[in-house]
Amino acid sequence: MTVSKTMAAGAQAAQNKGVKARFNSDLPQVWIGIALIAVTGFLPTLLGNSYWVHTFHIVNIYIAAAIFQNFLFIDAGQKSFGQGVLLGLGAYVTAIFFGMHGYSFAAASVMGLLAAFLGGLLFALPALRVQYFHLGFVTLSAAIVFPQLLMTLDKWTNGINGISVAVPWLHHEVIFGLSWLTILIAIYPMLALALHYGIRNSRLGRQMRVAALSPEAARTLGVKPGVMRFIAFIIASVGTGICGILYLPAVSFVSPQGFNMEMSFLFFMAVVVGGRGQLLGPIIGMWVVFILPNVALVEYVDYRLLIYGTLTLLTVVLFPDGIVGTIERKRKARSIHGRGEKAFRIDPFLERLKGTAEHRPSESEYAVEVRNGVKRFGAVVAVGGVNMKVRKGEIHGLIGANGSGKTSLLNVLSGLSRLDEGSFLINGQDATRMAADRIANTGLGRTFQTPRIFTQMSLWENLRIGLDASTTNASEGIRQLAAQLEAEFGQDNAELLSHGQRRLVEVMRVVLKEADIILFDEPAAGLSQSERADFAKLVRFLSRNLGKTIILVEHDLDLVWNIADTITVLEQGKAVASGSPEAIARDPAVQHMFVGGARA
Amino acid sequence: MLSEIAIIVVRGVAIGSIFALIAMSFNIVHGATGILNFAQGNMFVLGGFAAFFFANQADVSWWLLMMVVSGLLVAALVTFQGWITLLPLRSAVEQDSWIISTMAASIILGAILMITQGPFAYTVQSVVPSFRVLGVRTPGAYALAIGAMLFWYFALRFFLRKTLLGLAISAISQDLDAARAAGLPVRRLQLIAFAISGLIVGTAGFLVAPVISVSPDAGMRYVLNGFVATVVGGVGSNLGTLIGGPLVGVVAMLTAYKIGGSYQDLASLLVLVLILMVRPQGLFGRTTARRV
Amino acid sequence: MLKVNNLYAGYGIVPVLEDVSLSVSAGEILLIGGENGAGKSTLMRAIAGFNKPTKGEVLLDGKPLQGMAPEAIAQSGLRLVLDGHRVFPELSVYDNLRMGAAARRGDKAAFNRAVEQIYDVFPILKEKHRAYARDLSGGQQQMLALGQAFVAQPKVLLCDEPSMGLAQALLPPILSFLRNWAESGTAVVIVEQHLKVTAPYADRAMIIERGKVKFTCRASELDEKLGLAETAEVVH
Repeated sequence: MTVSKTMAAGAQAAQNKGVKARFNSDLPQVWIGIALIAVTGFLPTLLGNSYWVHTFHIVNIYIAAAIFQNFLFIDAGQKSFGQGVLLGLGAYVTAIFFGMHGYSFAAASVMGLLAAFLGGLLFALPALRVQYFHLGFVTLSAAIVFPQLLMTLDKWTNGINGISVAVPWLHHEVIFGLSWLTILIAIYPMLALALHYGIRNSRLGRQMRVAALSPEAARTLGVKPGVMRFIAFIIASVGTGICGILYLPAVSFVSPQGFNMEMSFLFFMAVVVGGRGQLLGPIIGMWVVFILPNVALVEYVDYRLLIYGTLTLLTVVLFPDGIVGTIERKRKARSIHGRGEKAFRIDPFLERLKGTAEHRPSESEYAVEVRNGVKRFGAVVAVGGVNMKVRKGEIHGLIGANGSGKTSLLNVLSGLSRLDEGSFLINGQDATRMAADRIANTGLGRTFQTPRIFTQMSLWENLRIGLDASTTNASEGIRQLAAQLEAEFGQDNAELLSHGQRRLVEVMRVVLKEADIILFDEPAAGLSQSERADFAKLVRFLSRNLGKTIILVEHDLDLVWNIADTITVLEQGKAVASGSPEAIARDPAVQHMFVGGARA
Repeated sequence: MLSEIAIIVVRGVAIGSIFALIAMSFNIVHGATGILNFAQGNMFVLGGFAAFFFANQADVSWWLLMMVVSGLLVAALVTFQGWITLLPLRSAVEQDSWIISTMAASIILGAILMITQGPFAYTVQSVVPSFRVLGVRTPGAYALAIGAMLFWYFALRFFLRKTLLGLAISAISQDLDAARAAGLPVRRLQLIAFAISGLIVGTAGFLVAPVISVSPDAGMRYVLNGFVATVVGGVGSNLGTLIGGPLVGVVAMLTAYKIGGSYQDLASLLVLVLILMVRPQGLFGRTTARRV
Repeated sequence: MLKVNNLYAGYGIVPVLEDVSLSVSAGEILLIGGENGAGKSTLMRAIAGFNKPTKGEVLLDGKPLQGMAPEAIAQSGLRLVLDGHRVFPELSVYDNLRMGAAARRGDKAAFNRAVEQIYDVFPILKEKHRAYARDLSGGQQQMLALGQAFVAQPKVLLCDEPSMGLAQALLPPILSFLRNWAESGTAVVIVEQHLKVTAPYADRAMIIERGKVKFTCRASELDEKLGLAETAEVVH
């Protein structure tokens, strides 16, 4: 396809000039999309073909709805089978107020918008609590119930007779023979596309994506996944409601049969076939899924659903990326730019943050305190009455066998798990009942055993979400650091990073977050000898030069002994020893942990 | 007054039995694969179509034979659908493609039915005569529905706890890795789970054909109510379906009699939203995440 | 006879095992030790098919197993008893044992004999044969997990940290059961933290450190070699 050749050629050319190829083709897709909508929106009028004018009115409105569906699907991770309801609410309520009660079109539109917003709440409220297929069923249910209500509430909706509307001023020609309606309908999907791009590249958009990809990681970055889902649904509902308002004058007549499940499926399928998550996807998808059966095979209109369904099934089984997605994948494969063998080093960047002070662990202040913490999973006691004190600014190692409770304890401290008994304090504040995102906002950051690196986002964006998570205005040093990182890694692909490098990305992320307490969950796993040595230096830097408190859950005892100020040993949910590395090494209670004898 | 309550309860439980059957068919597949098969509703309606085409106005012995045939045919179709659905899940990247593919399968089936049969509902003669219960004249098919629900509940219970095959399918839902380590043929067992779910809805649709809407667009309503019944009872719990199904059925009947028949689905939707907000795990459900 | 040649494996792009080779013959027990996080469990999982090796081969009596699905490998005669005494919680003890042999068709007599042997060695399982596995203690579940593998009469048995979560006193009976099992002609690999207790029951030993084989030796020499290794590190 020409689109891919253009993009790939551009990427090659750019690379040859010494300029990096783009990480993703979102922006070119936006421009191409706008161009395609402009052509199909304006050209038919200019050519005087009223059939195509009308057809593309519908298509472009549907494209706008599909754009919001796409946003909901990928940027927020929600599968909604009921977007047609929101379009229907926008159209029908406007029709009721305008066509049946004589309000002005503008006033009626406001009512329509309000109705779409309220309808969106029906999806958004459950989204606060549940995810996955449950919400899919709620939206599907709504898609079935909606036309039924339109029929039954005929006192308000005029039932099966439908409502006819005429909005003459919209059809007045403004310029070049284009009517207001044509202009509005052409501009709206362009705005929707621009909005999608804008949200995706904003802090909110990044936080939404992280919440969709890894709710756990999101919470440790101060984000409430439920709230993200809620906001996404509201945006999509209002956006789709406006589609309905434009739909009304385009079709001039609404009836219950026009708003059945088919419409909701159409939007969903256009997104899947076009390429989910690709900004251009809804446009290409809608052309293929809607225009082809409706226009090209016009005698076979009854086969519409069969075609939608078959196309979607084939796409999901054979070409999961969809049309635009497959092209984008090929483009990326050809012009990918990433670290690869070149080392992703963060030392040079961190050096700039170095202050003059050499921090030492505090003698009197405690960053974290656990008091008789108990955590049970059913009958299993993961943490059985642990007392632990971590001084501010120290490196505290937490060791023990698998099943000793280390990871459970870490999860409790970061708020991902709740203590059944006992309490814990962060910087003197009781955090026992705090939600994970609130704990993150008090200045705690953590890394995970498997680094949460999001390959859908560029390397810089993976770092930037750390910056997004900071609750205070960034200090000068951090701001400069961020600017440098963006310049260096803005277009890099995160997929190529080795495991060790991903680990470093996670560390840099918490540094950008300006977390002053950092929890590391088995950070050395999978790192080579030299990577471990570098990591040890890094941890010392974070503590001694930046004054951070570090809690390190780790199996590599050499590493722990090398850098820890204090070590706590957990066994079967209890802290059996705690003290300096020298003291622990001599403690008879923990000798069995060391393979072959005492640790020097 | 009393007779109205009687009608609501009797019909509610009977309709609810249908939802319970669909819910049980959800549970066996979900346990083995983590998938909720959207297409179950249309498969159920297919059973109804089978009754119309193979055994309308037939005598009892032929009817019974055709019921078995219907069950087997739908089982085969659901197994094939299951196989297609499981295909992309081999590569662990597309973990949620099943939502889309089962929905697409449902749409394709509905469309084929619409194209070949047209939009109208077929009437199927009942083999079992109507009878009186609590002074209310009740279609025989309702008794069959309740009977089928109880039969399948105990049959599945027996199967999953006493037979080697059933134990193996149950084992997969309890600990997938341990099942693999024991050499259990996981994919084959998952397909058998699909087949059983098809057997349940294929025979159920056949049995209750006289009292359901045997039309191409009825499938969605059944899958939805079946899902609400599943969630109310708790995903994975067949005991829960015995309560969830009749509960949803009674709510639907109550709505139909007190407010209006066309508000039934709205009532189900509200029950669903309520349960999800208040107690998402349902009455007896486990909250463990499943992996395929 | 199990042979592993130059195995590399990990999780996604996280490299864990590097160039690991080992062999175990019928009738012998290989003890694999090493600190937490060294890669012992990953090794077991890679051999048993839960983890696809990126390089290297796993041969069972000459037949390559690498790349096969775990259930296929189990059916070929290599059984892994997962760490954490995993059994089917909602099934009875007896049914759990049935599941162990379910993949092998027929031979009810052999199955019954094997079950009797298990009941002999672990009488508590016979006593509780109707109880749900979830109601057993951790130690009893571990016995059940071993029993589940035993009834399948595999050629090779991999046992991942049988002592995890168990009281110390429970280890010897389990180890002597494994010793007898090996002597009846099975190749056994045991991954363990508690080397001092386990070594007397094993024939050979291997220490894994950070995904690589540090050394192999006879089980009787293990203590000595570990002492030497530690000294070497201190000097270095």
